Amino acid sequence: MAHQAHAYHMVDPSPWPLTGAVGALLLTSGLAIWFHFHSITLMTLGLMLLFLTMYQWWRDIIREGTFQGHHTPPVQKGLRYGMILFITSEVFFFLGFFWAFYHSSLAPTPELGGCWPPTGVTTLDPFEVPLLNTAVLLASGVTVTWAHHSLMENNRKQAIQSLTLTILLGLYFTTLQATEYYEAPFTIADGVYGSTFFVATGFHGLHVIIGSSFLAICLLRQIQYHFTSEHHFGFEAAAWYWHFVDVVWLFLYVSIYWWGS
Amino acid sequence: MAMSSTAMVARRALTAASQGGHEGGARTWKILSFVLALPGVGVCMANAYLKMQAHSHDTPEFVPYPHLQIRTKPWPWGDGNHSLFHNPHTNALPTGYEGPHH
Repeated sequence: MAHQAHAYHMVDPSPWPLTGAVGALLLTSGLAIWFHFHSITLMTLGLMLLFLTMYQWWRDIIREGTFQGHHTPPVQKGLRYGMILFITSEVFFFLGFFWAFYHSSLAPTPELGGCWPPTGVTTLDPFEVPLLNTAVLLASGVTVTWAHHSLMENNRKQAIQSLTLTILLGLYFTTLQATEYYEAPFTIADGVYGSTFFVATGFHGLHVIIGSSFLAICLLRQIQYHFTSEHHFGFEAAAWYWHFVDVVWLFLYVSIYWWGS
Repeated sequence: MAMSSTAMVARRALTAASQGGHEGGARTWKILSFVLALPGVGVCMANAYLKMQAHSHDTPEFVPYPHLQIRTKPWPWGDGNHSLFHNPHTNALPTGYEGPHH
């Protein structure tokens, strides 16, 4: 039987990149079809294909790493670089929306009344639910760090407890934000204020949902004994992503909710 | 740099706790979770609740500003005239609030 003479992972051929690409194509064109011809079939098909792709691709990575031992230290180093680069790209994604917000709010046009917030816009009180949301995410940053240390110290029960607490806090944030969206006296169609508010906080909320899901997968894996005290990169990646989501919120809170009110 | 003694104690504890593979790191963050983080959430919950109660429930009178309630293109759901999180009590349509209002 042949063995590799190096520590790297030569991945087996996989259909998931192709199904992912097809799924993305169907989703985007499906979105256009929905907008113009009111049919959701193509979009739904694209979404299902994308979810199946994610499930199976990441399941394969778990199989390769946790069960087949392919994630040697150099391989793990590559995964770390990958996650860092991905999060960096997401930072730039949000930077664009912050640019849009500051562009519109630092020099408000006459059409808005020459002021920010624009005339007629009742902003949310930053010291009500938004402040609570800030506390919730900061607290979740503390609990996820508790989870990490529990993992490193081989404390299985505490790792599960703290990770569960983190996810619950994430879900609480999402619920609070959803009710804020419903109760807000302004909508996305209320000029550039509405646009910048809902697009920036909306994408952030999507990232909270993604981050919570990532952490939930880690919880399931921890329960099933996938992680060791020395090797738990999936969890670290989820924790990095979660901290990133927290930091984006802090910037959103200070810029849009507080300064912009 | 001048720092309160509490801050100094916290700084030493956090430095020790962040170093991996050292007994007690998890315990420190567990304590921080239950003594600082979660009570902080509780305080903010109480604060938000009390502030919401103190609100007046009157919505501002509707003024048909041209820079608000924009309808350049209809939404692809319902009648195309309601945003995704539309709230008939707090969100006016371009023609004003809907139905018998408050």
